[in-house]
Amino acid sequence: MLFLDLTVNGLIMGLFYALMAVGLSMIFGVLRIINFAHGEFFMIGAYTYALIATSFGINPWFTLPLAALGGAILGLVVERLLIRPLYDGYRSWSFVKDEYAVVVTFALSLLLIHLVDKVIGPSPFMGPSLFSMQRISIGPIMLNGQKLISSGVSIFLLISLAIFIKKSLWGKQIQAVAQNRFGAALAGIDPVKTTALIFAIAGGLAALSGALLSPIVNHSPDIGSFPAIKYYVIVVLGGLGSIWGSMFAALILGVLESYFAVYVSYDYRDAFGLLILICVLIFRPNGLAGMKGREI
Amino acid sequence: MNNLLSIQNLSKSFGGNQAVDAVSFSIQEGSIMGLIGPNGSGKTTVLNMLSGILQADSGSIKLENRSLNGLKPSKLAKLGIMRMFQMTRVFNRISAFDNLLISGQALGLSFNDSVGKADQLMQELQLEHVKFLDAGELSGGQKKLLEFGMCFMRSPKLALLDEPFAAVHPKMRETMVNFIIEKNKIGHTFLIVSHDMPIVQQLCQECICMSTGKVIASGNTKSVLSSPEVIEAYLGDDHV
Amino acid sequence: MIKTLSISNSKLWRNRLKFDFWSLLIVLLLMCFLPLLDLSDYTLGILIVAMYLAIVAMSWNLLAGYCGQFSMAPAAFAMIGGYIVGLSDFHAQLSLWISVPLAIVGTAILGALLGLTVTRLKGPYLSLTTLSFAEISRVIISNSHEYTRGDQGLNVPSMINDRLSYYYFFIVLVLLTGVFIYWLMRSKLGGFLLAIRDDQEGAESKGIDIVFYKLVAFTISCSLCGFAGAMYGSFSQLVSPEMGLLQQTGLVISMVVIGGIGSLTGPVIGAILVYLGSEWLREIGNIQMIVFAFVVIIFARFFRTGIWGFCLGLKQRLLQNHHE
Repeated sequence: MLFLDLTVNGLIMGLFYALMAVGLSMIFGVLRIINFAHGEFFMIGAYTYALIATSFGINPWFTLPLAALGGAILGLVVERLLIRPLYDGYRSWSFVKDEYAVVVTFALSLLLIHLVDKVIGPSPFMGPSLFSMQRISIGPIMLNGQKLISSGVSIFLLISLAIFIKKSLWGKQIQAVAQNRFGAALAGIDPVKTTALIFAIAGGLAALSGALLSPIVNHSPDIGSFPAIKYYVIVVLGGLGSIWGSMFAALILGVLESYFAVYVSYDYRDAFGLLILICVLIFRPNGLAGMKGREI
Repeated sequence: MNNLLSIQNLSKSFGGNQAVDAVSFSIQEGSIMGLIGPNGSGKTTVLNMLSGILQADSGSIKLENRSLNGLKPSKLAKLGIMRMFQMTRVFNRISAFDNLLISGQALGLSFNDSVGKADQLMQELQLEHVKFLDAGELSGGQKKLLEFGMCFMRSPKLALLDEPFAAVHPKMRETMVNFIIEKNKIGHTFLIVSHDMPIVQQLCQECICMSTGKVIASGNTKSVLSSPEVIEAYLGDDHV
Repeated sequence: MIKTLSISNSKLWRNRLKFDFWSLLIVLLLMCFLPLLDLSDYTLGILIVAMYLAIVAMSWNLLAGYCGQFSMAPAAFAMIGGYIVGLSDFHAQLSLWISVPLAIVGTAILGALLGLTVTRLKGPYLSLTTLSFAEISRVIISNSHEYTRGDQGLNVPSMINDRLSYYYFFIVLVLLTGVFIYWLMRSKLGGFLLAIRDDQEGAESKGIDIVFYKLVAFTISCSLCGFAGAMYGSFSQLVSPEMGLLQQTGLVISMVVIGGIGSLTGPVIGAILVYLGSEWLREIGNIQMIVFAFVVIIFARFFRTGIWGFCLGLKQRLLQNHHE
């Protein structure tokens, strides 16, 4: 049944989108900035996974966490070098914080894309699959083995993240800093460490998402940028700053896109995302579960 | 003396929290009214609704019988309601003088009129020596005075001041107080939110006290400040 | 009253702007003399493209540097302007006298529609939405093979035959853009845009209709980009989806940030330096984007006022020493 097939595949894509969107949402929740280089964490994750697995012949299952680690380290570096000055007590930054973040993360995105392009080259290659069976049938649906495994990993990660944020000490610190940076500092929480942690998590998740999709997509240095557009749609739809909203919205977008691509038009399926974005901004500016008001 | 501003049954809640609960009062033209109350009593929310930043859930706000419900802040400013913020809002990357010029033009003044008025205000506020510095380079108190001036580029019908004296150097506070008194003499109306009781007593003829969203006392300042409900609200049950 | 204005105090906005404008005139004047160096056609071509980008940079500065709205769509609107001209020629053989005004009006309308969506909102929504719009419009143009010939691009008739004349023509275009923006920023609209940049809520509570003025700035900026794209199309006689790549927007942003954001002359200096630099770096080994992205990050971090701001700072210090 085409409909069921589309729905399931859409949900699976939605899971991957969610891994990216959740990180973006967290960064926004705590810093009130959009990381325009987020797609590049995805791309670096994909390349790291593919390169390490093929060059060193390491089992793909071990390469996955390595890719995630790479993303996390990149996130930490970015935070330390570029983002920290915004919040480290430089008084004059208060005028230009948002503008600076836009320019710097956008420039970073271009820098990473072209750096990878230069160093590795644009020739497409794919990472090895985690699972050798190409097609598995579950009930009436035929699924790609890699996608199935990857979705399983994604679900596991998303649930772990949710539990981590809700229950663990670090998670609670993240919530505190997200709500009130200054207040959290007064309460003894180190906003700098928490921010660094968030960048590490966001970077790691995005890189992992890239690694999981690596066997399925054609690599090129700019694979990060188009997915990134979708994630912006998702975080707006879900409400900037809300992790649950982003997860939910990611699933919805995945499914809707899937229907649109087949029932309406394949070529313009990405335009669909823009349409949704604009509709959301006009009719429900808070997204599904976002922060109160657009007072950003 | 007629009613300049009258508020009836104004209410606003955020999520489950009733920040403002059926507040009613009116401000006479030419008076200086104080709005006091402990932290969290809803004073700033009331001010936000008066200046159009928030929309009330219910109730009415009338300026000389004209309804203000649902109007945008820029429209309210043009109607003569000028708001001063607790965290000073000036335009940091342009000169103090330009700040005044822009405010004047925003309120409808011609360029030449704005220049003249800005000159005059700079002298009244004793900011002549910093008028060409970028607003961001001014001290906290100077910025407050500047924001003050911006509200007066065109005679406002009602000036809403949110904690104008907080964290301000005594000398500057004096300048502000004198400015308010001078302007009031020629008929300007003020609503001042403040925690500074001596100044409230000095400046405000009438006073309203709020606590947990409701008006608990209103009327002549002296009597409000000595009313048991107000004392209880500020100091807690033990002290009554 | 007049006394205040006649004090040539450079910190007053009007005076700062006037100094800026005169500097722009001097830069353009110097550009006029460059051909005396017996430049090759190739070099002239590079300078002409630099000036196309200078116009786009100036219009992005109007929106971002003067009004604080960081749109990610300047290159996309330039591409759309170019395509309006290209499509008019391809499908209807319209002359440039019709298709260029069409491009200006078309991008203005599109800009206004997009603006209506985003100017009501605050914070990063504008950047996000314009980014999505830019990428998706490029993809749509790229994919609509029947209408646009996809990646092959469209041919555009040229206006002038001689490259040197084109060079001077573009100098005039940059001058006209500068004059237009100077006039805008000198008027009360200019002050309002600056106020919106510095504090939106504050500006609104002082009587400025922020939605209206943001929309005006947005529309004008998009339209100027479209105009620049149309002119570039006529010079290069080809428009392609590559004009609208995010990379191009990145280039424009680099030019403004390096040249000096929030000024008239900065974007133009930035455009010339960055584009010349980029051509040179491309010859070395295609590393221009890496270098410029890196330089932008450094400038944004340490030299927020750009080259122009740095020169201004020097001038201030020289004047102070002179007075002492």
